[in-house]
Amino acid sequence: MPGLLQILLDALSLGSLYALGALGIALIFGVMRLVNFAHGDVIAFCIFALLWPSVDVVPIVFAGQLPWFLLIPFVLAVGAGLSVLAELAVFRRFRHANPATMMIASFALGFVIRYFLLMLFSSRPKSVQILPGLSQPVELLGARIPLLQVVTILVTIAVLLALVAVLRRTRFGLEMRAAAENFTMARMLGVRANRVIMGAFAMSGALAGAIALILGSQTGTADIMMGSSIMLMAFIATVIGGLGSLFGAVLAGFLLGGVSVAMQFALPLEARPFRDAFVYGAVILVLLWRPQGLLSGRAAKERV
Amino acid sequence: MRQIRTFGLAVAAAALATAPALADDIVVGFATAASGFMEAYDKPAQDAAMIRIQEINEAGGLLGRQIRVVTADTKSDRAEGARAGLTVVDAGADLVVVSCDYDFGSPAALVAESAGKVSIFLCAESIKAGIQGVGPHSFSASVLAAVQGATMAEWAYHKRGARTFYRLLDTWTEYNKGICDGFDWMLPRLEGATLIGSDTFVNDDVSIAAQITRIKALPQAPDAIMLCTMMPGAVSAIKQLRDAGITAPILNGSGVDGSYWLSAVPDLSNFFVPVQGSIYGDDPNPEVTAFNAKYREMTGSDPSTQYVYPGYVMIDVWARAVERAGTTEAAAVVAELEKMRDEPTLFGPRTFTSELHHQNRARYLIVETDQGQPRVIDEWTISEPIPVSALLR
Repeated sequence: MPGLLQILLDALSLGSLYALGALGIALIFGVMRLVNFAHGDVIAFCIFALLWPSVDVVPIVFAGQLPWFLLIPFVLAVGAGLSVLAELAVFRRFRHANPATMMIASFALGFVIRYFLLMLFSSRPKSVQILPGLSQPVELLGARIPLLQVVTILVTIAVLLALVAVLRRTRFGLEMRAAAENFTMARMLGVRANRVIMGAFAMSGALAGAIALILGSQTGTADIMMGSSIMLMAFIATVIGGLGSLFGAVLAGFLLGGVSVAMQFALPLEARPFRDAFVYGAVILVLLWRPQGLLSGRAAKERV
Repeated sequence: MRQIRTFGLAVAAAALATAPALADDIVVGFATAASGFMEAYDKPAQDAAMIRIQEINEAGGLLGRQIRVVTADTKSDRAEGARAGLTVVDAGADLVVVSCDYDFGSPAALVAESAGKVSIFLCAESIKAGIQGVGPHSFSASVLAAVQGATMAEWAYHKRGARTFYRLLDTWTEYNKGICDGFDWMLPRLEGATLIGSDTFVNDDVSIAAQITRIKALPQAPDAIMLCTMMPGAVSAIKQLRDAGITAPILNGSGVDGSYWLSAVPDLSNFFVPVQGSIYGDDPNPEVTAFNAKYREMTGSDPSTQYVYPGYVMIDVWARAVERAGTTEAAAVVAELEKMRDEPTLFGPRTFTSELHHQNRARYLIVETDQGQPRVIDEWTISEPIPVSALLR
């Protein structure tokens, strides 16, 4: 049996990625009831922003050559910028549309981003080395574990703490929480709706940038489809967590990561190819038990 | 820009395709992807095929007639694939060339089959790409995936003294399973070789940390890890294995050939890939290196993987069969192809039988990547062909 510490770290690092993704979706859902399916494509876009457009097999690394202290803010800014642009150009016009219409619009936007990347870079996955310093094992409590795993977990914890601080301690955070509780009422009480929504999009986009950095560093690959699997897991996490609940989304993200890793260890070899079926089976059970999600947000309750 | 050019070409080709065929020409129809995600895989092999066609035409043609090419874009779509197949058949294609992958090539191949035309998959490596999945007039220009797994197992056993193996399968595609099937078939034939562990993952898994933890928990590191996967997940898996400090030799299928991705795993060592020909300029056959130069001249870049080569082999063996049959008539050409036993080609011998239109045994060059530098270190042909019954499991 592999070391328990190692399994725990595997689960936490995978859960971290899902939690960051879920948080990005939950932030936007909280303020405007939009399930943003373009989120995964924003993640892919952030990685491709490091490359110069070319359809050659060998990528032309451009911004990716920046030193890490410039590279990280650059990628976060690209994510935030693209998300804000999406809000200004697309979602703002759907402010009064029903949630289903907005969801379809987000699907469409995702396709636009993906095909834009396909046009510039072709479908062939590109290999890139991002933050090479993280690609080495470190010794921790007697176990040799990839440094990136540790960094992923620490970054996620830092992001969560920072987010809690912003939401609890700043005026913007207060406005955002108010908007998530009851958007119309918040507006009537003087919350500037556009500012709050833009802020949410910027934060969500920056989170997509963070995921892109971690994924890129972990896989060494830029692929136009790379955001889709994490987007699916993140969306499921927001539903299990209770749509609209930020804390629930994070909790569910970690849960999904934990269950996925646990299944990989516990299932016999013959059943392992069907691991995801077991994970989704567990998701269905959770939803049967608590259809409103583990920690249901106000928004979800109102609609039931 | 390239997209626009490709589109322009496709339009021109479509216009060509609808023009009446010149009675005197032999027509090769490419129902392949000129756009969408399969383009990246079809285009290189198709370019290589064009080189062989050009060579034949310059040498006076086939049966004294020039080969003319018509193309139709499958747009990387299965439904469009059937339409593209129909377009080239209507344009009078004597040979229908279809996409690299079985799933994407079969719609066009089935159209060709029902029209009684010979079809060849550019580089599909599933046994279904041929008689078993399409029909008696269908062939594949590449080698079965299972041969790659079997080759690596037998080679590592004999040449590297590997006795304990670990098997890591990416369950995403039939190709991946094919590599591991070949490995599984070979392993019991190697006396004293044991499988000390096995695990699976999926190509787009965000992380394979759990699989790595299982490998590291083994009481003893394996002599070799058989990794059955393909791009893009392969790079991610290899990178994660090495980043976690696992240094055991990694055996692969041909799908990971190429140096274009090595920047993601700098200083990669102890890494082995079977290839039909070397893109690294060190092929034991100097004619392969000459071909690489010709390819560069025509396309502006070197071959990026060995999957360029089957396109050349395809036209080569088909043209020989046509020459021997004295006609492009499908039944006669198929009969000639099925007579080929270890027919020498630039990229290893080819055998076709009435039972199998694919290679269940092939000569492979073994490429080792050491300190991030790939080079040919050996060549290997499995001791016995993999029986069709084992392939159809």
